[in-house]
Amino acid sequence: MKHISPNQVAVDIPARAPTRRALAKQQTRLKVLAAARRLFSEQGYEGATIRDIAAAAGMSTGAVFANFTDKSDLFREIMTDDMEALLAAMRDAAARGRGVEDAVLKVFMAGYTFYKSRLQLARAAFSVSWDLEGGPVLRGLPSSLALQDVFGELLNAAVERGELSQEAEVKLRAQMLFDTYLSNFPQAIFEGWSLEALQTRARDQVRILLAGARRG
Amino acid sequence: MGAEVEHTPEAVGLRRTQKEATRARVLAAARELFDAEGYDGATIREIARRAGVAVGSVFTTFASKGEILSEVMQARLDPLYGEINRVMPHVRGSTVDRLRTLFAIHFEFENRHLRLFLAHIAAAYDWTLSPAARPYGRNPRLTAILRDTVEKGVTTGDVRPDVDLDEVVGLLLAAYAWTYQLAITQGAGVAELIAAMDRRIGVLAEGFSKRA
Repeated sequence: MKHISPNQVAVDIPARAPTRRALAKQQTRLKVLAAARRLFSEQGYEGATIRDIAAAAGMSTGAVFANFTDKSDLFREIMTDDMEALLAAMRDAAARGRGVEDAVLKVFMAGYTFYKSRLQLARAAFSVSWDLEGGPVLRGLPSSLALQDVFGELLNAAVERGELSQEAEVKLRAQMLFDTYLSNFPQAIFEGWSLEALQTRARDQVRILLAGARRG
Repeated sequence: MGAEVEHTPEAVGLRRTQKEATRARVLAAARELFDAEGYDGATIREIARRAGVAVGSVFTTFASKGEILSEVMQARLDPLYGEINRVMPHVRGSTVDRLRTLFAIHFEFENRHLRLFLAHIAAAYDWTLSPAARPYGRNPRLTAILRDTVEKGVTTGDVRPDVDLDEVVGLLLAAYAWTYQLAITQGAGVAELIAAMDRRIGVLAEGFSKRA
């Protein structure tokens, strides 16, 4: 993975004992983020206002703006946190796969399992992703691109192993796998599908999407 | 006396006409607003303001903004499917060719009001909507025409009979919707969207076509 995570950057900075002010600032940020996460979940992205978030965090809007430039900055930060956790879960699932089809399926299921407990926030994220202004920002976050790369990496590894053909059109297939993974959310949720039902469906989808890549 | 007047057939008819006029005004205002602001940005309050009606009277006709959007999109389908029914019988070629033509017509139609269609897709991910709403993916006409096209392919022999046709239709629906992300992330125009969908149909076809 070529992306440098914020943690790696932090390691390179000589450790210094944080000042009391820095600690207080960190506390404030965390409080705002927790309140924002709750409000985005309850009210959706548009519905949540900075004023409500500040009130829920027990501080002034000025204090919120001292830490975040605007609402989209807050949302981006929350999404980045989530997507990094999701990325770790997906990478873990990918490593446990036996063969490319099973690995892709495990990555799908890791995603559905991850979001089962945070559907409300996922709803806000999907809504922003279909917006002409918010969409490019959310889709362009390094952690969002890295999620799609998980599929690309799996397919590339399968090409190297000879499981998929050299002409597998990895980039397009990875994109289609990611899109298919995302497109299952509405049915899964509206129709209250179990993880088992989702898995059965996803297996058929992955099979169809990989079929052409198998012909050597 | 007032009550007596209200119940004359003329009064009932008038009330119905007024109700329909309100409904038409709300739908026209909503169509404009969704096309300008997207799904999340449009609010019932603003729809009411633009339609010049009270917020309360919007709610007496529609349960949610998702339902209003469903109605707006439903009304758009008649001209679209009129065109499709006119064109499709003359389209020759393989199932893949027919699917590509079918989606090209859709892209050309929906791209004229891109934000409106993006709002329609976004609504599919709003699972607080009532089951009466028909966001993208729950439009029976598109599903039926895709199903017909691939079924016909089984008959003519270029689609494998052992493949699950519902899954193929589902994958086509997913590919179509998510191709619109290219309009968002890369500002893709209608020609690029059609080309991107053609490639996706090609990938799917490798999974559902009979081997030559």
